[in-house]
Amino acid sequence: MAVDTPVTAPAISEIGRTTRRPRGRRDTGAKGVAVLTGKIAAGALLVLLALFPLAWMVIAGFKSRTEVVATPFQFFPEVWRVENYQQILADPEFVRSMSVTFGGAILFTLLSLTVNSLGAYAFARLEFAFKNVLWVYVITTMFIPGMAILLTSFVVVTRLRMLDTIAVLVIPGAASAAHLFFMRQYYLNVPMALEEAATLDGASKWGIYRHIFLPMSKPVFVVVGMTSFLAFWNSYVWPIMTITSRDLYQIQQFLATFRSERAAELGMLMAGSTLAALPVMILFLVFQRHIIGGIKIAGLK
Amino acid sequence: MTQTVQAEPTTLGTAAARRRGRPSGKQPRARTGMNARSNKMAYLMLAPVVILLTIFVVWPVVYAVYLSFYNWSFYTDPIPVGWRNYMNVLGDRTFIESVGRGLLFAVMVVPVQLVIAFLFASLVRTVSGRVATLLKVSIYIPTIVSGVIASIIFVLIYNYQGGILNAFVGLFGVEKQAWLGNVATALPALAVPAIWLGLGICSLIMLAGMVDIPATYYEAADLDGANWFQKTFFVTIPLMKNIFLFLLITGFTAAVQQFELPLVMTDGGPLERTLLPNLYIFQHFRNDTYVGYSIAAAILLMVVLGSISAVIFRVLNSEKAVDG
Repeated sequence: MAVDTPVTAPAISEIGRTTRRPRGRRDTGAKGVAVLTGKIAAGALLVLLALFPLAWMVIAGFKSRTEVVATPFQFFPEVWRVENYQQILADPEFVRSMSVTFGGAILFTLLSLTVNSLGAYAFARLEFAFKNVLWVYVITTMFIPGMAILLTSFVVVTRLRMLDTIAVLVIPGAASAAHLFFMRQYYLNVPMALEEAATLDGASKWGIYRHIFLPMSKPVFVVVGMTSFLAFWNSYVWPIMTITSRDLYQIQQFLATFRSERAAELGMLMAGSTLAALPVMILFLVFQRHIIGGIKIAGLK
Repeated sequence: MTQTVQAEPTTLGTAAARRRGRPSGKQPRARTGMNARSNKMAYLMLAPVVILLTIFVVWPVVYAVYLSFYNWSFYTDPIPVGWRNYMNVLGDRTFIESVGRGLLFAVMVVPVQLVIAFLFASLVRTVSGRVATLLKVSIYIPTIVSGVIASIIFVLIYNYQGGILNAFVGLFGVEKQAWLGNVATALPALAVPAIWLGLGICSLIMLAGMVDIPATYYEAADLDGANWFQKTFFVTIPLMKNIFLFLLITGFTAAVQQFELPLVMTDGGPLERTLLPNLYIFQHFRNDTYVGYSIAAAILLMVVLGSISAVIFRVLNSEKAVDG
């Protein structure tokens, strides 16, 4: 929605910098020390609350199957075992599920970037008949909740004979009005002058998109690409409705199935969950500057 | 069309141009040519996104509205039943209760999220760059975690035997609880992972809104000798009204529609205490081959939530004047 409208995505550390009041005055004396201590405590508590469940998951992956929920409770394992991680990585179903989901997520991300950025460019920079009608048509789809179309989408993909193929995961969600909107806002802020110069040089609209807008799209592609990848990687409901053959099981589907079929293997379940969370964590940490910077609210105020 | 309009002011044009009904030679024709080409290129570029949205979003909506007036299963011809599906939904206590439960769930999730996010933002804007980065990255990390993994983690945290939560409350002499099995604690137990998953985005939007407030307002308040509470309640909060409203409504609609957590953690139990509306619709769809009822329920929910979204959108668009 209007939340993410980066003009120029500022570095993560820059949010909060511009309007900070001059400090120093308040940091002296006993009161200053108390305030500082309070801040450190509050900050530490927030970090702890946010990361504790994940830390526990990673550590539980090193426990034996009975130790995960042993009484009395122990946070750290008696002996650090790597067997769970080794075993889950040796499980061909797990490895296949990770690979299939990864491949699907890449395809989905590329398709999403392509169709949405083409549409975004057309709406941002081209004039054509029925532009407003088409704009309203596209944007309206942003306000339709998933559940309202989940059931009939299932009917549609059944009729199109897409069930139980990778296409049913990749194609239906690729076009997104929210992503298109986000990219259009970005393209609207590209200076006209560049385009005018290129037009004088005889560049076509396609040439302008290809040689001016695409190369400039990196920051917005990172945000949209990451969001698409994450949405694909984390999706669970759509795969359990449309994928039945184990060869195509998505990673979230695999974890949920593992949990019900091998309920006793808690250590392995936690190891598998850790590994399944790893790719998106790495992606996020690599691109965190762009992603967190992308959360600007220019459209909101 | 264009030609007839432009044919009027031809006095300055050449004779040839006048004969063709054009004001001045080549330019307009060039422009028309451009438009035609521009049209074609625009439609080519829009085609993929418009076609995909039509097949996978617009058509399913139209089809859903159509089917909601029919009695239909995969293997039979649809039989028109008028408003009966809707009547059945409105007369179904389980559905109405699930919507009420969804609202209750939102009341558990959203205010806590807003308060933590506000405190987070207040803290982050006063610390130095590197610490701020650490805090922002930390709070955002749970957002990356999937609903399934969050469910797996929290089910074990709530585990009766050897779960962390029971060990923790045991320190205060509280009896062990079956947090997800007890009718009184199941829904709040589901609210915690929902808060955890949604907190990151809420906090960062809150922060982005807070840093937009001009520093001069605080300087003026400082000159008047305002303390932290006065500055928070008389400067920060009033100026962030739109942000609060936005987060309130988006958080509210997301919470009412929460679906994966109850699906994986409790499957609606115990005694339907975690049966949120979308889970109820989904279960109904899976168990009943006649889908008209499920679709009517989904559409009714969409209308309620859609009205709320429309209200925010209008409010946000009409109150731009609040900022300094």
